[in-house]
Amino acid sequence: MNKPLVELKGITKYFAKVIANKNVSFSVNDGEVLALLGENGAGKSTIMKILYGLYKEDEGQIFMNGEHKHISSPKDAMALGITMIQQHFSLVPAHTVTENIILGNVKGRIDWKAYEQKIGELAQSYGFDIDPTARIKDLPVGLQQKVEILKALYLDAHLLIMDEPTAVLTPQEASKLMGFVKEFTDQGHSVIFITHKLKEVMEVADRIIVMRDGEVHGDVKREDTDELELSRLMIGRDLKPPKKSEDAGGKDRKVVLSVENLSVIGSDDVPKLTDVSFDIREGEILGIAGVSGNGQQEICEAIIGAIPSKSGRISLAGEDLSEQNIRERLETGIGYLPADRFRDGMIMDMSLAENMLLKESFGDKWLKRGFLDHGRLRRYTEDIIKDYEVKAPGAGAMAKGLSGGNQQKVVVAREVGSGGKFIIFNQPTRGLDLGAINHVHKTILAERDKGKSILLVSTELSEIFALSDRIAVVYKGKIQGIFDHNDLTIEKIGLLMAGYNDDKGVQA
Amino acid sequence: MNEKLRDLILTDIAAVLLGLILSGLLMLFLDKNPIQAYSVLFTSVLNDKYTFAEIFVKATPLIFTALAFAFTFKANLFNIGAQGQFYIGAIISVAMSLFLGDSIPRGLALIIIFALTIVGGALWGGLIGLAKARFKANEFLVSMMSTYVALAIMNYLLRTKLLETKMEYPQTDPLNPSVWLPIFIPGTRLHIGFILAVVVAIGIWVLLYKTPIGYRIRVVGMNPDAARLAGISASKLYVIAFMISGGLAAMAGFTEVNGVQHMLVQGFNTDIGPAGLGIAILANANPIGIIFASILFGALKVGGTIMGQMSGIPASIIEIMQGFVMIFVIMSYFVRNEIDVRREKRKLRKVVGQ
Repeated sequence: MNKPLVELKGITKYFAKVIANKNVSFSVNDGEVLALLGENGAGKSTIMKILYGLYKEDEGQIFMNGEHKHISSPKDAMALGITMIQQHFSLVPAHTVTENIILGNVKGRIDWKAYEQKIGELAQSYGFDIDPTARIKDLPVGLQQKVEILKALYLDAHLLIMDEPTAVLTPQEASKLMGFVKEFTDQGHSVIFITHKLKEVMEVADRIIVMRDGEVHGDVKREDTDELELSRLMIGRDLKPPKKSEDAGGKDRKVVLSVENLSVIGSDDVPKLTDVSFDIREGEILGIAGVSGNGQQEICEAIIGAIPSKSGRISLAGEDLSEQNIRERLETGIGYLPADRFRDGMIMDMSLAENMLLKESFGDKWLKRGFLDHGRLRRYTEDIIKDYEVKAPGAGAMAKGLSGGNQQKVVVAREVGSGGKFIIFNQPTRGLDLGAINHVHKTILAERDKGKSILLVSTELSEIFALSDRIAVVYKGKIQGIFDHNDLTIEKIGLLMAGYNDDKGVQA
Repeated sequence: MNEKLRDLILTDIAAVLLGLILSGLLMLFLDKNPIQAYSVLFTSVLNDKYTFAEIFVKATPLIFTALAFAFTFKANLFNIGAQGQFYIGAIISVAMSLFLGDSIPRGLALIIIFALTIVGGALWGGLIGLAKARFKANEFLVSMMSTYVALAIMNYLLRTKLLETKMEYPQTDPLNPSVWLPIFIPGTRLHIGFILAVVVAIGIWVLLYKTPIGYRIRVVGMNPDAARLAGISASKLYVIAFMISGGLAAMAGFTEVNGVQHMLVQGFNTDIGPAGLGIAILANANPIGIIFASILFGALKVGGTIMGQMSGIPASIIEIMQGFVMIFVIMSYFVRNEIDVRREKRKLRKVVGQ
């Protein structure tokens, strides 16, 4: 049980301008589930890609059963019994399950019947419900992942590396996967499980390697640790979740944003929003909860004028916005943080300073004698970098060189700056690490305390509950109800999100 | 930054040398002496003021057409029609020059001709942008086809309204010397059009990087979705970018007609549009880089002509030589990138002390 199967010794990997791994050493034992825990960009995937032969280490050695091995391609790794399931599957969508599994491992005439039977039996022995003749493109993601696993089993893998395997799964599928991991390791095989979710680690791992900034910061047995210690190792400091001041003031405060009977028809003639109405007062956060794709995006885009509304009225501080274009609306003091910053929020090939200018290139705010005042813009951006704790070399750094969390801080700073009265945060923390999430939440609450009105769209219920004063639930483009955040429970909101309504039952 | 500049110069020189060596080997196959051919080339270029200045004469229109392609390229648009916009500029320049003659002072006349040329090119280019903005037409095809229309207009005018008084060839009368662009190095053909081209290139750089409109053009080019959500209207910028682009290409017509040809002949300078495109890509659409890339192209053109005249090397070899040099210059870009990555890795290693 405790014999090391694979040992990594002093692995270092440089990418063009960053160190991805620095002197990383750890081992995996036979029959062990090893969790590789760390935030985005901690170097987890890189070290595993080195073990799998996709990257070449710059320094260090890999030992297997005590022997020094050179792994220079996935083929070498597979020959040693190491298989990796990437975050993005490497399957051919147009081919069948069988074709995908035997790909690269057959020669000459193929006896399809025999292979299909063999793979069918293999799938059954692990309780996988997979038809070997089904085409990959017809399978849901959960099953596609099982095909990847079958591929590994077919190759007789001793060590299975899984990169964030639960990211694409529903909670039920995830627990089934955990069951498989246990069964697989009971046969004496080993699994390395890459993740940034503490809950999963505590559920499945025997031993945990914590990585931060490309280095190993902890090697602990599950029974000797707890989630608090792990999160501290992972982040490098204690996180204090922001505290919301309870006042929310009240019903007597002035209404800033008012949306009345807003309806939007999509380009495919399907109604996207039907009769949506809500008000947001000064210093108030209205959270919009709902399963992704139930009209949240349309609410945001209709307010800023990016999509036309069929009917309804939108006003900001009493001023009717309905007839104004995007630019005029933004100039009345609306900030909009889009859900997809890559597509809608940033220019990845421009510097941070130029990204700060995105919504303020009109007017003479940044002009000096008719030309852009790059000096002042740079100083302003440097201040933002300091205030928002953005990890960037300076205002001249390209946006694409930053990690997701730091990019998001820059966009948040820009929208906070341009949204004088009202800010829309659409999925502000999706894909961010814990430190960045914490920072964004603090910023949102600080803006609320300054008296700004905030529309917060999120599919994370914990985020909605932690920040919102009132919560609106959307389902199929309609508002199911607006509630004070104290009047809602997780159960109730779950039912509303699924289309059930207290008195009316299921809505069409 | 200094290291990068040094790499740039060294790799570019290496690229040109490699191109010359490889084409030298080809000459050996033809029993020509490459060393002799190259020494003729270099001595005549370096010893003869006229020949040396010719490099810059040839570079002048290329700077304009390269800028024309580069400018729309920054908005992620493809203006393949610089050749046609160049013809439009040449038509307007020659027509206005013939019309004005020596009736008004040279400076005033040149300014009027120049201004009208730009307006004509801008309107011609603006039509392409309008088709793109209003009807979502593919600007690549529209601009490419517009060249044939411009060519047909030029050919028609050269046989009718603009036909020379002798009525022999499809060409115009020579221009009155009072509307020629002044020569600024005596004993050569180097006219002030070259200075104009350099100034315009710098101006375009300023426009792109130092003004709000240039910023918005680049934003639309790099991420139209983000631009739209920031309230930036892409369709308006498409028209503006194509107007500026058309105006730039038309300037080449002005400098060629009033600076070099002093008349308009059917079928002249048929390759400066495509050459400009290549130069713009070579210079990564950077206006300042375009100046130097155009001079390199000018040098290749002049060098080729001289080698053909003086050493009996067949013209096809000269074209191959130009091709080799171009390929190596483009490859040097990737070499520089690799050098840069390795240097950064070394620096990192030093920082972490390993």
